[in-house]
Amino acid sequence: MRTAIDKTMQNQLVAIAAQLDVLEKGLSQHFPRREPTVRAARRLNGASGILSMSVLADSGIEHYRGSFENKAMFTPLVMSALSLAVSAHGTADSRPDAHRIRDAVYAAAALTGVVGTGFHVYNVLKRPGRLSWQNLFYGAPLGAPMAILLSGLLGVYSERLRDDRGASPTVFGLPAGRTLAALTGAGLLGTAGEAGLLHFRGAYHNPFMYAPVTIPPVAAGLLGAAAAGFSGRTRWLTRWWLRLTALLGFAGAGFHAYGVSRNMGGWRNWRQTVLNGPPLPAPPSFTGLALAGLAALGLLEDHTDA
Amino acid sequence: MSDDPLLSPRAKAGRAPDVFAPGGWIPMHAYREDEAVDFVIVGTGAGGGTLACKLAEAGFSVVAMDAGPYFRPLEDFASDESEQTKLYWTDDRIVDGENPLQMGSNNSGKAVGGSTVHFAMVSLRFRPEWFRSRTLLGYGADWPLDWREMWRYYAKVEQALKIAGPVTYPWGPPRPRYPYRAHEMNAAALALARGCEAMGIGWTETPLATLSAPRGRAHPCVYRGFCTTGCSTNAKQSALVTWIPRAIAAGAEIRDLAMVGRVEVNDAGRATGVHYHREGGWRFQKARNVVVAGYAIETPRLLLNSATSRFPDGLANSSGLVGKNLMAQSNQAVWGISKDEIRSYKGPPSLAITEHWNYDDNKDFFGGYSYMSQGPLPQLWANTQMSARGLWGDSLMAEMERYNHVVGLKIVGEMLPQESNRVTLADAKDQYGLPIARITYSWSENDRALIDHSLRFMARALEAIDAREIWTQDDDTCHLNGTARMGGDPRTSVVDADCRSWDIRNLWICDGSVFPTVGGVNPSLTIQAIACRTGDRIKALAALGDL
Repeated sequence: MRTAIDKTMQNQLVAIAAQLDVLEKGLSQHFPRREPTVRAARRLNGASGILSMSVLADSGIEHYRGSFENKAMFTPLVMSALSLAVSAHGTADSRPDAHRIRDAVYAAAALTGVVGTGFHVYNVLKRPGRLSWQNLFYGAPLGAPMAILLSGLLGVYSERLRDDRGASPTVFGLPAGRTLAALTGAGLLGTAGEAGLLHFRGAYHNPFMYAPVTIPPVAAGLLGAAAAGFSGRTRWLTRWWLRLTALLGFAGAGFHAYGVSRNMGGWRNWRQTVLNGPPLPAPPSFTGLALAGLAALGLLEDHTDA
Repeated sequence: MSDDPLLSPRAKAGRAPDVFAPGGWIPMHAYREDEAVDFVIVGTGAGGGTLACKLAEAGFSVVAMDAGPYFRPLEDFASDESEQTKLYWTDDRIVDGENPLQMGSNNSGKAVGGSTVHFAMVSLRFRPEWFRSRTLLGYGADWPLDWREMWRYYAKVEQALKIAGPVTYPWGPPRPRYPYRAHEMNAAALALARGCEAMGIGWTETPLATLSAPRGRAHPCVYRGFCTTGCSTNAKQSALVTWIPRAIAAGAEIRDLAMVGRVEVNDAGRATGVHYHREGGWRFQKARNVVVAGYAIETPRLLLNSATSRFPDGLANSSGLVGKNLMAQSNQAVWGISKDEIRSYKGPPSLAITEHWNYDDNKDFFGGYSYMSQGPLPQLWANTQMSARGLWGDSLMAEMERYNHVVGLKIVGEMLPQESNRVTLADAKDQYGLPIARITYSWSENDRALIDHSLRFMARALEAIDAREIWTQDDDTCHLNGTARMGGDPRTSVVDADCRSWDIRNLWICDGSVFPTVGGVNPSLTIQAIACRTGDRIKALAALGDL
C-alpha cells in the first residue's frame, strides 16, 4: 500500500520537475540569466533588512538613553523601520523589476546615514577634547550611522540589480558582483573598526571581545580579493568565512546578553543594564553584511565577469 | 548574636565575610595567639591591607588587625550620608594649632580596608622629582627611594586595582597604559576641561580605582555617586575588595574590631607581639615581626603609647621624629553657579584633573598642586554652605535650591613638612582607656602662598566658563602623611627605605606616615606602591636570613 503511494508521488514529482525544467529553459530564452540576478537582489534585500533591524533596535535604545534630546534623533528609527518594511517586501518579491517606493526608501535611508554621521561628528567636535579617546568612546558614536547608510546602499544596489538587463549585471556601469564585494568588504572593515573602538573602551576584558576585530576583517580581505579579480571561481573559503561572520553576528548578541548580566543587578535590573551594558543589537550588523557578501559571491559565481 | 558589624566581629572561627555575595563567607585561616606568627599587621588599609596580601602570598603567616568593622558593601552601605559616617574614624582626638585639622570624613577610616573604603579612588603617581625634592627642587626632604623603582611598583598597583585612566597621560615620563579605560566624564568634569582649555593648560580624565568594565565578581561602576560614603556595588577597588580577599586566600587572618593598644617589646629590644582589645577584653598576639599601619595619626599614637623604660620616648623614636612632620594636603576650592545644570553628584566626584601646577615650576612657592572637578553630596554641600559661608535658615534653603547648578574645582595641594606640626599624646583617654592623640597643625607661609595661587587660578578658570557668583572655600584639608618619615639616616628618619624601623629591626611601619613629603597628588597609590615594595623587600631579606 505504502509503496504504491510512494511510487505515484515519485512519478508526479518527476513530471513536475520536467515541467519546471521546460519552464526555466523557456524563461531563460526570454530573460537571459535573470534568475541569479534577482536571487542576488532578494538576498541583498534580506541583508539590508537585517542591518535595518540592527539599526532600529540600536538607535532606539541608544537615542532613548540620550533622551531624544534632539528631535532629529527619531529619524534613524523611522527610516530603519521603513527600510526594514521594504526589505521584507523585496525579499518576498521575485519580480525582476525595481520598485519605486523601495528604491526611494532605500535612498532616503542611505541619506539618513550621511546626515547622521554629520550630526555625530558635530556632537563629538563640540565637546572639550575634540577628537579625543574620551569623546570617541562616550560622544555620539561616529561609525554608528554608517550602518543605516550601508543598509540603504545595499537596498539601492538590490534595486539596480533588478533593473539590470545585461548578460552580465552591472550597477552604475560597474560590474555588480565585484563592486558589491568591495562595498561589503569596506562595510565589514568599518563595522569591525567600531567594534574595535568600543571593545578597547571595555579594555578587552573578555578574550571573546577580540572575535569581531579578527574574523570580519579576514572576511573583508577575502571579499577584497574576490573584488580584485578571480571572479567566477568557487571561493569556498570566502563562502565559509562569510558564513562564520554571519554566525558571529548572532553569537555576539549572545555575548552581549552575557555582558548585560555582568552589570549591577544583572537581567533583573534590565531597565538599567540593557542601557549601560554592551549593545545587544549591534553585533547582528555583521550578519547583515556577511549575507550581502554572500550575495556578492553568488553574483560572481553566476556571472564570470560580474 | 548580633550581625551588626560594629558590635561583634565577623571574621572569626575560620571564616570571613565574602564581600561579593550577600550573606556569603570565605574560609579563613585561624592562628593561635600563643604561637608567634611571622607578621602581625596593625591596620588593613592602603598600607596594611596591601602588605598583608603581599606577605601572605610570599608564604609568611600573617595576622592583620583592624579596629574597625568588616563591612559587607552589598548589604551594609546605604545611599545616606549620615548612616555612612560609620566608615570614619570619629574617636576622640584633640586638635589645635593655628589651623586645627578637621578629623573624620576625608582623612581617616575605621574599617577593614581602612579609608580606601570611602576614598575618592583618585590614583595618581608622584612626580619623579618629588622623590628628591630637597636636592632637585630645594624644599622638604629626599626620599630614600628611586623614582624608577617606584614607577615599576605604581604599574603593579595600577594593574592590581584595574585603574581606569586615560589612554595617554599628559604629564611626567611615559607610563604603561592603564589597565581599564577612563570613565565617561560628567558635566562637572567637562566644566573643568573647558576651564583648562580657556586657561591654556592641559587636563585629562582622572585615573580612578573604580571599574569601567566587569572584573571577576565585581560589576562596573554604575555612577551612583556615593563613592566617598562607601561603594555599595564593589566597583570601587578598595583594599576591602582587592587586597584583603587575596590575603585571606593566601592564608592571612584578618581580625576585625581588634584595636591594638600597645606593641610589646622585650628586654633585647625586639618586638614580640601586640596587645589588642577585642570582644570586651585585652588579648595578646605573639609575632616575630610587627607592622604598624595605622596611618599618620594612629601610627605615631601607638608607637608613643607603647613606650617602655627602655624606650621612654616611644618605640622607634631615637630620632625624636615620631609624630613630627605631620603633613595634611590643602584642599581648597572655588565654587560658582553655572547657567546649565551640572548635577555634579552624578558619577565619581573627581572625573577630570589637571596636574599642570605639579609639573610647572614657574611659580613663587615650593611644591605643587593638582585640581579636580567636584561632586559634593547634598548633606556635605549644606554643611559647606553653613561652615564656609555661614548660611542658615532661608538663605541656606535658597542656596540648596541651586544645588544642581553648582560647579566647583578643588585642589590637592602639597603642604611642606614642619616639625611643629605633630601628633602627641593627650591626657584624656578613649573608650579603650588609651591616651588619645593631640594633633597640632599650622600652615606655613609657603602653604598659604600655594593656596592663594590655586584659588586665584581656579577662580579665573571658572570665570572663563561663565560661572557666576564665584566664591572660595579657603579652609579645608585632606589626607594625612608624615609622622614616621623614611630616610637614609637613623638620626633624621624613623624607618629606612624598606619601612623597617632603625631602632627595632623587627618593627615596621607601612602607611602614609613614612612619607617625607606629600606632593600635590592623593597619596593612596603611593602608599600601596610602597607596601608592595616593602613586601618584596621583606621576602628578599628573609631569603638572605636578614629578618
